[in-house]
Amino acid sequence: MAATADRAKRYSGSALLFLALAAVSVLSLLPFLWVILSSLKSHEELYSKHLTFWPHQWTWDNYTQMFERMVGFGLYYRNSVLVSVGTVVLTLFVGSLAAYALSRFRFRGDRVLLLIFLGTMMVPGEVGLIGQYELLSAYRLLNTLTGLTLSYSAFSLALTIFIMHSVFTGVPQELLDAARVDGCSWWEGFWQIMVPMGASGLAAAGTLVFLNSWNEFIFALTMNNWSDEARTLPVGIQLLQGQWQHWDYGVLFSSVMLSFVPVIILFLLLQKYFMRGLTAGAVKG
Amino acid sequence: MTRPYRAASRRRLTILDSPYVFVLPAVLLFGTFTLYPILRSLYLSFFDYNFLRPDQMHWIGLGNYREIVQDERVTGWPGLVLPKRLAWWQYPLYPLLVAWLTINSPGGAFWNTVRFTVMYVPLAVVIPLLFAVLVERAGRLSTLFRTLNFIPVVVSVAVVSIIWMWIYHPEYGVANTLLRQYAGIREGYTWLSDPKLAMPSVVAMCVWHGLGFNMLLFLVGLQRIPPELAEAARVDGATGWQALVRITIPLLRPTIFLVGLLVMIGALKVFGQMFIMTQGGPADSTLSMVLYLYNIAFRYGKFRFGYASALAWGLAVFIFVVSVISFRLSKERA
Repeated sequence: MAATADRAKRYSGSALLFLALAAVSVLSLLPFLWVILSSLKSHEELYSKHLTFWPHQWTWDNYTQMFERMVGFGLYYRNSVLVSVGTVVLTLFVGSLAAYALSRFRFRGDRVLLLIFLGTMMVPGEVGLIGQYELLSAYRLLNTLTGLTLSYSAFSLALTIFIMHSVFTGVPQELLDAARVDGCSWWEGFWQIMVPMGASGLAAAGTLVFLNSWNEFIFALTMNNWSDEARTLPVGIQLLQGQWQHWDYGVLFSSVMLSFVPVIILFLLLQKYFMRGLTAGAVKG
Repeated sequence: MTRPYRAASRRRLTILDSPYVFVLPAVLLFGTFTLYPILRSLYLSFFDYNFLRPDQMHWIGLGNYREIVQDERVTGWPGLVLPKRLAWWQYPLYPLLVAWLTINSPGGAFWNTVRFTVMYVPLAVVIPLLFAVLVERAGRLSTLFRTLNFIPVVVSVAVVSIIWMWIYHPEYGVANTLLRQYAGIREGYTWLSDPKLAMPSVVAMCVWHGLGFNMLLFLVGLQRIPPELAEAARVDGATGWQALVRITIPLLRPTIFLVGLLVMIGALKVFGQMFIMTQGGPADSTLSMVLYLYNIAFRYGKFRFGYASALAWGLAVFIFVVSVISFRLSKERA
């Protein structure tokens, strides 16, 4: 008797736990689900007095309307992809090369250099906003994708060096020495030993840098906000919201849905690296 | 097939193999686009400098910093009137009273940032912590819950803010519609255009947005605690709650401190949410420090780069001092 009661209690306890967790998870996802479903509703349904969750009538109208009328959206998308990918490639190359030097070689000023890189991580990025605006304007890099890519790369650099430094420190020196004996130069040793050995670390750093530059707002708003040519998605979508909110919510829903769904899919595919990169990035604080 | 060791086969090292060459690109990129702008801002903060009129730039020493202290829109007192005399039984309630008044009284940008931080940090630590403890118990399903709740974290502040603006919309928004349909409220609230409600509404969104990330950090911390300890306590007759409060949370203290610090630094730098949802309004009640400095530099048409730099550096110094103080306090406690 006592055993069954105990089991029943434990069973109901875990059911309660499951329910609570499911409820919070639903709350986390509901806003997104609601946007997706709303983007498939007709104009009349969106503006009706009664709130509906499932669309009565599924329609793609909002999407066709969006592609026809929101000219900038495609451009913002392209810009965000170019800037984020450019930042990831540049930061990983430059950052891991520096991390290789700092973790494997002793040279004049190496300690100081590492200290400067890591020390600057504690300064909030917003402090450089004014100085950087001036700098980019002096070099005519304002409102260009190159300018924003350079800016993002520089700000992600310290973090990348921090992550890759600890990854590279874990690679046994014997491997590098053996490669050297077999005729590799140090430069080849980087490509043939360090890069393959640190691949998962690079992937984690890369996803973190990608996410940061894909979502970055204040620098994109400040530097690249003169014309559609150089606007990125976060700034563009905020602009569209301002322009369209009095016209048509359906079109806005579909544009917002298109801006978050790819990132979520990417996250679900590369989950492991996202979590690793983000936790490694958090420790920097 | 062993290859005989031949010293001659060693590739000659070229100039490319020097560590200086390896760090050079990083030094150039970092120096130009990170270090220089930061130092330049510091330099500019001592000048009266309008970006459009560089010829009129002149040194004013600490003048900009003095202006911060005197600027009503920064340090304007939130109008808290604290009772001067308290009855003996009111003393324990004093912190609560101050907290309550802080939440409810908009002030200058500095106080609003503090208000935001005071409201946001406790919620952003406690809720994810409790949730992480529950998720850890879910066994095989814990990965699923971790993933699902992490999804908002990868979506940008801009998109999330826009979605929540729709949720808070006074007429068509989900929040008011639900309240009308199920709570019998006739009119609903103007969430983002009521000076008292705007800040808590933004805070609620931020708590929702950060839940998954903070929970992940707590889960990482929880995994480092050997499960035997809590189990041993339960064998000794402790309830689940007691085991949590007496064993798990004290052992988790370093993680709690880390998350608290991260969340606090992020909160003091809050910008995008306010810029998109409220533009600092209504009546400056959600004007944050970074939003104000952005406005000073780019919005009010005067391009006051000197004063904006001083605001940025002032905030950075404040963040640094608060971090050091909390670090000291946590060391003393441990």
